Amino acid sequence: MSQLSSTLVQLASGLRFTLGIFFLTLLFSIPLGLLVARGRMSKNKIVAGLVRIYISVMRGTPLMLQLLLVYFGPYYMFGVKLADLDVGPFKYRFVATVIGFSLNYAAYFAEIFRGGIQSMPVGQYEAAQILGFNKAQTFFRIILPQVVKRVLPSVTNEVITLVKDTSLAQVLAVTEMFTMAKNLASSQVSVVPFIVAGVFYYVMNGIIEIVMNRAEKSMNYYS
Amino acid sequence: MGVLEMKNIRKSFDSLQVLKGIDLEVKKGEVVAVIGPSGGGKSTLLRCATTLEKIDSGSIIIAGETLVSTSNSGLTHYTDKKKLQEIRSKFGLVFQNFNLFPHFSVRRNITEALIHVYKKSREEADAICDSLLAKFDLSSKADSFPCNLSGGQQQRVSIARAMAVNPEILFFDEPTSALDPELTSGVLKVIRELAEEKMTMVIVTHEMAFARDVADKIVFMDGGVIVEQGPDVISNPCNERTREFLSKF
Ligand SMILES: Nc1ncnc2c1ncn2[C@@H]1O[C@H](COP(=O)(O)OP(=O)(O)O)[C@@H](O)[C@H]1O
Ligand SMILES: [Mg+2]
Repeated sequence: MSQLSSTLVQLASGLRFTLGIFFLTLLFSIPLGLLVARGRMSKNKIVAGLVRIYISVMRGTPLMLQLLLVYFGPYYMFGVKLADLDVGPFKYRFVATVIGFSLNYAAYFAEIFRGGIQSMPVGQYEAAQILGFNKAQTFFRIILPQVVKRVLPSVTNEVITLVKDTSLAQVLAVTEMFTMAKNLASSQVSVVPFIVAGVFYYVMNGIIEIVMNRAEKSMNYYS
Repeated sequence: MGVLEMKNIRKSFDSLQVLKGIDLEVKKGEVVAVIGPSGGGKSTLLRCATTLEKIDSGSIIIAGETLVSTSNSGLTHYTDKKKLQEIRSKFGLVFQNFNLFPHFSVRRNITEALIHVYKKSREEADAICDSLLAKFDLSSKADSFPCNLSGGQQQRVSIARAMAVNPEILFFDEPTSALDPELTSGVLKVIRELAEEKMTMVIVTHEMAFARDVADKIVFMDGGVIVEQGPDVISNPCNERTREFLSKF
């Protein structure tokens, strides 16, 4: 019993990093994804082309590889030693994880946002233009709120995937929950830590489903 | 001087010439009905007048402000961005399919531009909204969302939205074509009331009886040209093409 409770305590301490990666990635990747989506739709062919390549590479290579590149890249490419650096209270390995995740998820979110933005009828833009709204007002007041409603189910999918993907941070030896579970399992010679970790992930995603369902319902007042 | 002066308007989509030198003048307080077979360029004409499409050549003056002009050397020049915004405040457009903002209540559809573009206080905007809703028989619908209104109510809201910013001229592109027949009368009644108040309007419509009653001038368009225009085009057409078109009604 005490072994289980110590397992719980240790996994919970790993959960801090899991949640940290999760929330920080959402915080950075959603606005970045919006920006990338705009770039992808840019009239400037060079910008649109570069962004297209960015999205293609991010989606076409393993996230684990991208994490390693963000972490080791600066050293191998430029001889810059960041690995021992602390950024505020965070180790660089954690910062690199968040950067890697944010860059990767921004690409996925961008494609979702682009689909949503392009599904908007042109009449909405035209009505806004005639009423005198400028480009920014049109986007943030008229278009974006409707896009949010349209993309919410796809965003929910990505968010759920992100919860599970946080376990990839183990390649940078970030002691998130999965790394903890692995260490505990080998020291205890038991699968219990894995099962407990699985329950943690499952509960997190359960909460996400509830929250996102609420959000979807709250936008049901119009169709 | 007219509220709208369009001279020698030409417009092509790729190789397809849609407007082939249109001249149209609308005086203050005048109601102009534009009729004609589909594909004749009526919508394109309205979209050019309302800056949704750019013309290839010609000139457009709205409420005394030059939106676009073509010089003698053949260069077509649109006014700058700031002036463009100013000119946009002089007109309104009512779309065939309403284009209301579905995520806003009726009230917000009407007040959003007043508050955020015209910088009116919420109280002022609400007062304008309330009086328009009362006038258009929509007072009970202020807090409804467009999806809960009938097509006729939605179109009346969209007319209220266009009127809220106090335009000098209002354009309508087939305002009743997307409606079930029994819902058209409420919309036509509202437009009639605006005509009685001497609102300057250009109305593209297939409602011939309505056009004949309400319009001071009828313009018959076909094949990208104005075939004929005048006060009696519907009751007394001169041109063979006009007669043939009208015989279908
Ligand atoms: N955006 C566009 N691109 C290409 N062709 C267009 C476009 N808009 C209209 N047209 C063409 O221009 C012609 C006139 O169309 P329109 O102005 O809609 O006529 P109407 O409103 O009288 O029915 C039609 O042949 C139509 O196919
Ligand atoms: Mg048309």
